[in-house]
Amino acid sequence: MSEAILELRSICKSFDGKKVLDHIDIEIDKNEFITLLGPSGCGKSTTLRIIGGFEYPDEGRVFFKGRDITDLSPDKRNVNTVFQKYSLFPHYNVEDNIAFGLKLKKKSRQYIKDKVKYALKLVNMDGYEKRKPMSLSGGQQQRVAIARAIVNEPEILLLDEPLGALDLKLRQEMQRELMKIKKEVGITFVYVTHDQEEALTMSDRIIVMNQGIIQQMGTSISIYDEPQNAFVADFIGDSNIIDGVMLKDRLVRIFGIDVPCVDVGFGTNEPVDVVIRPEDLVIVSPEAGYWKGTVTDLIYKGAYYDIKLKTEDYEWTIQSNTPAAVGLQAGLTVLPDNIQIMNKPRSSDEEALKEDE
Amino acid sequence: MNNRRNTRVLLSGPYLLWAVGFTVIPLFVIIRYALTDETGAFTLNNLFAIADPINLKATVFSLEIALMSTMICVLLAYPLVLAFRRLNLSKNRFMLFILILPMWMNFILRILAWQMILSNNGILNFILGKIGIGPLHIANTGLSIMIGVVYDYLPYMVLPIFNAVAEIDEDVIEAARDLGGNSLTVFRKVIFPLSLPGLMSGIIMVFIPSMTEFVIADILGGGKLQLVGNIIEQEFTRSSNWNLGAGLSVALMLFMMVSMAFTMKTDHGYGSDGKAGAVW
Repeated sequence: MSEAILELRSICKSFDGKKVLDHIDIEIDKNEFITLLGPSGCGKSTTLRIIGGFEYPDEGRVFFKGRDITDLSPDKRNVNTVFQKYSLFPHYNVEDNIAFGLKLKKKSRQYIKDKVKYALKLVNMDGYEKRKPMSLSGGQQQRVAIARAIVNEPEILLLDEPLGALDLKLRQEMQRELMKIKKEVGITFVYVTHDQEEALTMSDRIIVMNQGIIQQMGTSISIYDEPQNAFVADFIGDSNIIDGVMLKDRLVRIFGIDVPCVDVGFGTNEPVDVVIRPEDLVIVSPEAGYWKGTVTDLIYKGAYYDIKLKTEDYEWTIQSNTPAAVGLQAGLTVLPDNIQIMNKPRSSDEEALKEDE
Repeated sequence: MNNRRNTRVLLSGPYLLWAVGFTVIPLFVIIRYALTDETGAFTLNNLFAIADPINLKATVFSLEIALMSTMICVLLAYPLVLAFRRLNLSKNRFMLFILILPMWMNFILRILAWQMILSNNGILNFILGKIGIGPLHIANTGLSIMIGVVYDYLPYMVLPIFNAVAEIDEDVIEAARDLGGNSLTVFRKVIFPLSLPGLMSGIIMVFIPSMTEFVIADILGGGKLQLVGNIIEQEFTRSSNWNLGAGLSVALMLFMMVSMAFTMKTDHGYGSDGKAGAVW
């Protein structure tokens, strides 16, 4: 028996003839914080809605602890959702909102009271019992929505871009709090977002989706450091994605220059995509670099400088702790370790990438 | 500053003129008639005339018809509105258009049509006869008046409720289902409470006019069944006793104001921009 608490098997879904999910297979382990990441329209929210029971898949089955729950309505699933627009009941106060699920389950009055109190404390909202949702800020409403969901002790909590409507500062604060809550209540989180930073910060595992297809599945580190295709590389963080030719193992030709790398097994003279993260490029004197060019742009970003350097074939994006004056002639170099070689994408991914740009 | 205030007064002018000319002044005229006798002397007798046996009987009958009709309208409106919501009418208003379409036809014509349908030798009994039931004697009964009232006023109940229900975010309904609510619970705990402002408007817009209705009673009641509206109308037209007619009107108005005040007293506002009391 596997540890999987939830399993999606070969899920397909179309809306008005347009395929939004194309044979999605996902296994989610107990107690995992898993994030579905992708641009809008990639199918991540639909996947979540299928888990929640709000959409019925055209093909494929959903299993919860090995039991087929595809045909169960949302109210019969031990899964709760936190919606992007909070979706609190406007006619109930905070307390009654949170107690909604427990009252339906006919819990005792004292139990409900204790639970509501605990949940409000958990989301840092004690004392707000009698307030109406409309009188709360967006962040506070989302806290209540989270409390309303976890008070039912679901085995899986689904979060559909819950922080999407909040401003940056609040979002970061809530990210930390969500992780704290996750640790405290110990339930499985399935999180949907289009914000790669959010995904990298919080998740145990990230599933990158585009055009209804899973592009890559893995830990934050593996997704960031070893993107499997140009779409993932482009979507996660800033990247220089360039055409290259794999001459042989550990040697790639980029813009006419042979550069040592660490990748093997691509064959010989194979066209590939090359990804170099902006922070991995190093500006050196023109003679010392692989490529020569002119600095065209310099932006101070607080923690680092964002530099554009134009060579004959490409405008590179570089992140550096030291500034480089616009107009400076410079060379670029990169360590073999920091070069990612990827196969050219399948045709559908290629389309996806183009559409994304 | 002064200039802006002048502009504002100017812009609200037409409405003020309308309100004063067609609501406030007529109201005072009616009240003046109600509180005087033919000689112009002050009296309360016209108001108390509502308690005369004939008038009281008509008033109670009107109340029955109005309450029943309003209730039937409510019971018909909710399934309709829920179906509309399911059909996603916010985008496609065609069904709503169908509902309102009869209102484009002349009011008297619509009621006369019902007379044709419901009369003893009418269409309904013809069809019932074919399948071996009846004939039913609906014509000239309270039931026939009620059918006319419901038919005529149903849109006024459906529209405000629909507007309130259409405004409910689908996410809120999904949240209720997510938290374990079946369809009935979702209706009871979410849709119905959130539709209350619309329901209140609907009740006001159906109950008040049907309470003072007289044309429908004239045609579908066969002139034998009298609503209080018929009595008031007759005082003005046939008996030419404007004082008594006005007195009954004012008494009725007071009664409805008091009863509505009780209905509306409950606070259905939620939060800062409570939309309750669209009419009140």
